[in-house]
Amino acid sequence: MTEVSIERLTKTFGSARAVDGISIRIADGEFISLLGPSGCGKTTTLKMIAGFEEASEGAIRFDGKDVVNVPAEKRDIGMVFQNYALFPHMTVDQNLAFGLEMRKIAKPEMLSRIAKVLDMVQLGGYSDRYPNQLSGGQQQRVALARALVIEPKILLLDEPLANLDAKLREEMRVFIRDLQRRVGITTVYVTHDQAEAMTMSDRVVVMFGGRIAQIGAPSDIYERPENLEVAQFVGQVNLVKGTVTGVAEAGRCRVASVFGEIAVDSRANHAPGNSVTLSLRPEAIELKPAGQGGAQGKVTARYYSGSIIDYRIALDSGETLHVQTFPNIRIAEGDRVSVHAPADGFWLLGAAK
Amino acid sequence: MTPPRRKGVGPLILIAPAAVLLGVFLVLPYLNIVVMSFRMPGQGTPYGPGYTIGNYTKFFADGFYLFQVANTLWIGLLTTAICLVVGFPVAWQLARGAMRFRALAYGLVLSPLLVGIVIRSYGWTILLGNNGLVNRTLTGMGLIDHPLPLMYNALGIVIALVHVFLPFMILPIMAGIQGVDPSLESAARSLGASRFTAFRRIVLPLCTPGIQAGCILVFVLSLSAYVTPSLIGGLRVKTMAVTVVDALIDTFQWPWGSALALMLSVTGALCVVIFARLTRMKWKVARP
Repeated sequence: MTEVSIERLTKTFGSARAVDGISIRIADGEFISLLGPSGCGKTTTLKMIAGFEEASEGAIRFDGKDVVNVPAEKRDIGMVFQNYALFPHMTVDQNLAFGLEMRKIAKPEMLSRIAKVLDMVQLGGYSDRYPNQLSGGQQQRVALARALVIEPKILLLDEPLANLDAKLREEMRVFIRDLQRRVGITTVYVTHDQAEAMTMSDRVVVMFGGRIAQIGAPSDIYERPENLEVAQFVGQVNLVKGTVTGVAEAGRCRVASVFGEIAVDSRANHAPGNSVTLSLRPEAIELKPAGQGGAQGKVTARYYSGSIIDYRIALDSGETLHVQTFPNIRIAEGDRVSVHAPADGFWLLGAAK
Repeated sequence: MTPPRRKGVGPLILIAPAAVLLGVFLVLPYLNIVVMSFRMPGQGTPYGPGYTIGNYTKFFADGFYLFQVANTLWIGLLTTAICLVVGFPVAWQLARGAMRFRALAYGLVLSPLLVGIVIRSYGWTILLGNNGLVNRTLTGMGLIDHPLPLMYNALGIVIALVHVFLPFMILPIMAGIQGVDPSLESAARSLGASRFTAFRRIVLPLCTPGIQAGCILVFVLSLSAYVTPSLIGGLRVKTMAVTVVDALIDTFQWPWGSALALMLSVTGALCVVIFARLTRMKWKVARP
């Protein structure tokens, strides 16, 4: 299996730097997501790894060997495209056989490998179908099978679920993740959907404007975002103004805010007296009937969506909060509430770089 | 979801104008030509009383006309082949090339159609003649001693026809290539195919309908071309179209001219059918 090492990789289009000196080390068998808004350079990065886009600077190493000058067809990659890119004039079998023919695999082995992989993606009886006779989800699985049947060094996926409807998308997330674990293949996954990146990946690379904003495990990215931009991109977040009153211990500051004085985790060191911004996730907040301590406020809006309820709370101090709770508490629009936020629900944001 | 099949006269009304136009101006005249080809030759009139198959026996008995059909087909084939070879790369650039030059290139491709065919063909007589631009330039450069025979032969006709019909080859192929998703090539290459293999196994089969359309268009246009062959071929080389017009207008033999015209149509149609069979797609596109 394969380790991928990307070193100071840069892609310039004219004077624009689509990818600006990024470095990522991907361990053997790891599932990495490149997450970011459109135009952040994630797809360009993937194309450079695949060999469809030439790197302007930097190195891409597969197991220590620089592949920057190796053409795409010699890189031994498996790639799944957003629109699946199945060959419309070939049956499922012929689509899968294509890569094996290029590798001059003997017919009997070819057939057994195709059968095995089709079985893996649960498309056993579909060998003779043409792509346009398959549903979107089935085409997606054929595309996966076609990429995996050649037993590539790494698997690259370019927004493969973007064209599927919501329910199927969630099924496919789990499906792809399980398949990847079973095969144990090093995988790079490009997406702009944070939930997708979180559920599937071992580590997430958050990119903005051609640079890496943060690399880390999904929980790291969500709970300890590097800056405001990351915090806002990977989920809903409340911003609470505060003032540093002291340093509690290494990596923790004491901060005074509407929620009182609390010890908050932080990556950077802050001097007492600094104005800072705390992030507070909507689901970390607890609502209680008015008069039970905490910050006081009023419910201005309530959105019921089955598994959770979304509230908008106007605090008496003037701030607005977004709160998510389980639907087991009954608070109506217009009610006055006590807002409680546990200290470990806060995170002290660094300034955006 | 397929839309429910419409019943009633709606669709009929939609195709009625085209159907009437085709019926009145194509099918009826064709039937008339078929009947005319079996008429007796006339004495001082376009055709005489009674019917005969004499026009056809004359055609098959005289090697001269068979040779002329063969020559016409050969010119059509050559024109089509050259248009394909020259036109494909242009179509590729138009379909896949950089956006900046596309409008300009498009204009250049269409430019032969902006000038009337008579003027274009006269232009070629000026360029291709013994004292024409091409020969004078080559002689001036010392590359040849005697002017190349470019006029009054098949070569000259083919050169001019290629120029005239090239857009009819390029445009359908361009549309065909545009219909092939570029990510299919990327997919093929990710699976280990070289650029050439990806082109041969994926792109080429998928844009075959465009190539077929372009070839058939250019071929039938070449067979039926009149102005260009008559101006450049002169009296020396005659294509069937020229001979047909001679028979109909110069010598006033309508039955004979009709028979010749039909033989040209039939052989041309036969060629198209054979071509379509040979290049037919081995894959079916099933309806989703």
